[in-house]
Amino acid sequence: MPPRQPASRPSKSRAGKRAPEPPQQYASTDDPRVMLDRQIGALFEPIPPYPTQTEREGEFYTLRDGEMFLNVGPHHPSTHGVLRLVVKLSGEQVVDVDPVLGYLHRGVEKICENSDYYHVIDQVDPLEYVSALFQEWPAVLSFEKLMDVQVPRRAEYIRVLTGELLRISSHILYVGFYALDLGGLTPILYSFIERDEIVEMLAALTGARMLFNYFRIGGVNGDLNHEFMSRLGDWMSRAAKEVESSATLLNENEIFVRRTRDVGVLDRAAALRYGVTGGNLRASGVPFDVRRAHPYSVYPELDFNIPTRDEGDSLARYLIRIDEIRESIKIIDQCLHNMPDGPVMASLPRLIRPRPGRAWAAVEGPRGMLGVYTISDGSDQPFRFRIHDPSLLNLETLPALATGHLLADTMTIIASLDPVMGGIDK
Amino acid sequence: MRGLINASIRFAKTFPREFWGRLSVPERVAFLLVPLAMGAAIVTVIAIFWLGGPVVDFLGANLPLVRFAVAGTAILLLTVPTAFVLIYLELKVIARMNLRVGPNRVGPWGAAMSVIHGLKVLTKEDFAPTGADITIFTLAPVVTYMASVMTLLVIPFAPGLIGQDLNVGLLYFFAMGGLTVVGLLMAGWSSFNKYSLLGGLRSAAQIISYEIPLTLSVVGVILLAGTMSMNRIVLAQSGSAFDWFVFKQPLAWIIFFIAATAEANRTPFDMTEADSEIVAGFATEYSGMRFGFFFFAEYVNVFIVSALAATLFFGGWTAPFNWPWTYNLNWFHPLEMGFGPWLAIVAFVLVVAPQILGILVMLFGRGWTYVQASVLGALFTLVAVVGLVALAGFIAFDWVQGLFWFMFKTYVFVVTFVWMRATLPRVRVDQLMGFAWKWLLPASLVNLFVTATAVVLLNR
Amino acid sequence: MDRTLKTRLEARVGSYLRSPIYQRHDETEIRIAPADVPEVLRTLHDVVDLRFEILADLCGVDTGEVMQVVYHLWSPMTSDWLRIVADGISRDDPRAPSATFLWIGAEWLEREAYDMYGIVFEGNRDLRRIFMPPDYTSFPLRKDFLLPDDAARSPGAGVRHVERTHVSADPAEGPEAGIRRAPVS
Repeated sequence: MPPRQPASRPSKSRAGKRAPEPPQQYASTDDPRVMLDRQIGALFEPIPPYPTQTEREGEFYTLRDGEMFLNVGPHHPSTHGVLRLVVKLSGEQVVDVDPVLGYLHRGVEKICENSDYYHVIDQVDPLEYVSALFQEWPAVLSFEKLMDVQVPRRAEYIRVLTGELLRISSHILYVGFYALDLGGLTPILYSFIERDEIVEMLAALTGARMLFNYFRIGGVNGDLNHEFMSRLGDWMSRAAKEVESSATLLNENEIFVRRTRDVGVLDRAAALRYGVTGGNLRASGVPFDVRRAHPYSVYPELDFNIPTRDEGDSLARYLIRIDEIRESIKIIDQCLHNMPDGPVMASLPRLIRPRPGRAWAAVEGPRGMLGVYTISDGSDQPFRFRIHDPSLLNLETLPALATGHLLADTMTIIASLDPVMGGIDK
Repeated sequence: MRGLINASIRFAKTFPREFWGRLSVPERVAFLLVPLAMGAAIVTVIAIFWLGGPVVDFLGANLPLVRFAVAGTAILLLTVPTAFVLIYLELKVIARMNLRVGPNRVGPWGAAMSVIHGLKVLTKEDFAPTGADITIFTLAPVVTYMASVMTLLVIPFAPGLIGQDLNVGLLYFFAMGGLTVVGLLMAGWSSFNKYSLLGGLRSAAQIISYEIPLTLSVVGVILLAGTMSMNRIVLAQSGSAFDWFVFKQPLAWIIFFIAATAEANRTPFDMTEADSEIVAGFATEYSGMRFGFFFFAEYVNVFIVSALAATLFFGGWTAPFNWPWTYNLNWFHPLEMGFGPWLAIVAFVLVVAPQILGILVMLFGRGWTYVQASVLGALFTLVAVVGLVALAGFIAFDWVQGLFWFMFKTYVFVVTFVWMRATLPRVRVDQLMGFAWKWLLPASLVNLFVTATAVVLLNR
Repeated sequence: MDRTLKTRLEARVGSYLRSPIYQRHDETEIRIAPADVPEVLRTLHDVVDLRFEILADLCGVDTGEVMQVVYHLWSPMTSDWLRIVADGISRDDPRAPSATFLWIGAEWLEREAYDMYGIVFEGNRDLRRIFMPPDYTSFPLRKDFLLPDDAARSPGAGVRHVERTHVSADPAEGPEAGIRRAPVS
């Protein structure tokens, strides 16, 4: 008899085997704040009790009778990104909200301190990824101030044109996500159809659909081409009607209106104290728009209105965006008619080395005022590159707005404020 | 001798592990199942021969019991294809309303999507969250599902096709429908999760609030029909479409429809599973087949409220106009036709018709190969044969007609529910409750008083 | 460039200025001591012909020698942006007064400056970390922040080495050798 072959093939069954241990790569910590769910079976609270550091934290993390914490965690269908809210609930009513940020912090400012000035434009795109050109714009403006560069008029018009297109796309997406957070499944898909058209247009022009990397110091990267103009022409011929139909899907919807009216009212004084900018500020009665308040580019030559409303509730914030879409279409129309000829890029040296100095520039993005403060030390990398994102201050109003409403209204308020976590967390 | 014994002991010790370890999983399953199946077959055959006689005698003496058992089994089995069809309908209809296509890869026009969902749900890991109450956690989907399924017992699908014609059928229906609350509350509480708790409480509040307008609006129908038996309610609406109760009780119909949407947890009243706020509500911690049960229960719920709407207000299985004829197909004697004609028919159906249709496909289609065209031809032949049989049944048998009309009306309402889901956003919890207690309840009471007064006056 | 703004500022807050008002393009810059920040901001906010009501930005700057807190304000009375640089905050114990008494929105901006630089804003009711985890032990945007030595010992820290930038490998040069310093102009 031949010798029996030993069972050399490993058994395929998992019977009797346990899951492999996770690799021991984490340093141990004694900090109770980080001991999350190590104790299996214990009652899991979102924040384990630890000595609180600040007044507000202490106030927030003390539960009175009948209150509970609900962790609307970073994984959630309607927090507009990775945002964690610790909500203190009394039944269904929100008593307080503590937003916890930083889940999308990428250290862009530090990275930009180690990048060339060209590279900064690329790095700064994914902040508010929904409307990427509006991050490049103030960066480029501040660099142009540092270098005393004059941007050709055609480039300015192209910047305004693409910016307004992107503003429309961002607002349409806002409408879609707003409806989705309230439960309507259809408007988000209509929004994406509209956005797809615009983004394809911009892809024909810039080469990318979402993170454009299109603006340059001294102009834009590449002139308008035939495909972009033909798509734009097609779109403009239908734009007004399509936008109207998408908007009226929700404007006259009884359920939508009743869920957003008088929810999250931000009054004028509070809006100014919070530093809110953009559509949220204009919905509270302050007609502050950087395009009019501190004009840049060719906006002084363009004719458009600043829609303002007084109520300050979520419905007003929604309606303001719809009005702004109409204004943007007007601006695009004027840009197309008044587009001058000429170069699209100023002539600059290859290596960008501004003189030492400081520059601040701000533009009006879809969510508010986007500002960039640059300090140059004479080398080819910025010494300090500070980005001021409007969504941070917009979101800061959430605890004040959501208190007293129901949990469902918290989602309405977040959706109406339109935060983009990429910009908030930088 | 000793060597032989030692060798055999060693063999006995190592053989199992060596042998078993070398089998793959399907082989192991077969190794275990085949003897079991053979054993079971032998036991069954012996049982049939030994006990068969007395069992058949017993059943023959208790025909209602047999009928009930058959009806119950049929209903349980009916829920699964119903849920499958509804899931597919929902996916496709909502997709079309969203200007999308929906599933179109698995099966023709994506029709096998529901089956895939069912299989997927079966393959997921079965776990319960730490701290959950396992017993209640496991029982909750069962309770919800069974509560929904038990209501199907009293729905008249066709004349003669009703599970059990209770003379308090409608009361039984609402009693069973109310049991779903228990299941949802069990799920919400036992999941050890605040989202589930919120979802469970919301669902309990919602369903209880909307049950009262629902039942009160239906009392008008009971008064008009004079009975709670579903069969007799349908019979009270026979005649033409204008005998349907929707024309005699329009307010009750509106209240019923709104309350039924809330009972079935459908948009715009789907606060309980508001997936943009409380992730999945009471079902947050459920996965795998447990979630599958909740999923099925929801769709069965949609089916039963649509069926109820069709039965109570739209005449159930009655046709909208007087359908006088049941053509007699007695001239067709299949068993006496003889071998020749049967061979001709079978040959035609199996061979000739697919080829003819395949040739037509190749002529009028573009770029079909012969094999593809034959398969398409066979498919079309199958569809034609099924259609002919259905048509024959429709003409010949009144229960087929009744079933068709019933299903047609039910699916109209099902599609309406799906349509509402695609279109409307969600109503907030307090607005939902306010609406039920401040508007629907007084309206249904008003309707009740008016109907009762009218009935008394008209009977005088 | 708004010359009238320069005269108005010198009239109102001239006593607090530590260097001449600097104007370039459409920005006006003033430098004050950190301790004067509350009075200056209050004056700029309330005075009728200044009315700097909108806080555009609040950030920290690490020049390598000292730290600064930089405010940007906007007013409807002028066409310039106003930049206030609260200069001279020491790098060892950075403290500055908080602007939350005037703009509650500054709370989170100051949290960010604290998180990134370690500047403690006195008067801020909620000065805790905003982007980094709560047990993080260093301040990322400082010029002497070097990975991985300063990396927090938290479960989220990886074990991959990140290249040290701007620091030479020569140990004789000391840890501060390659840190970039800005001209303090």
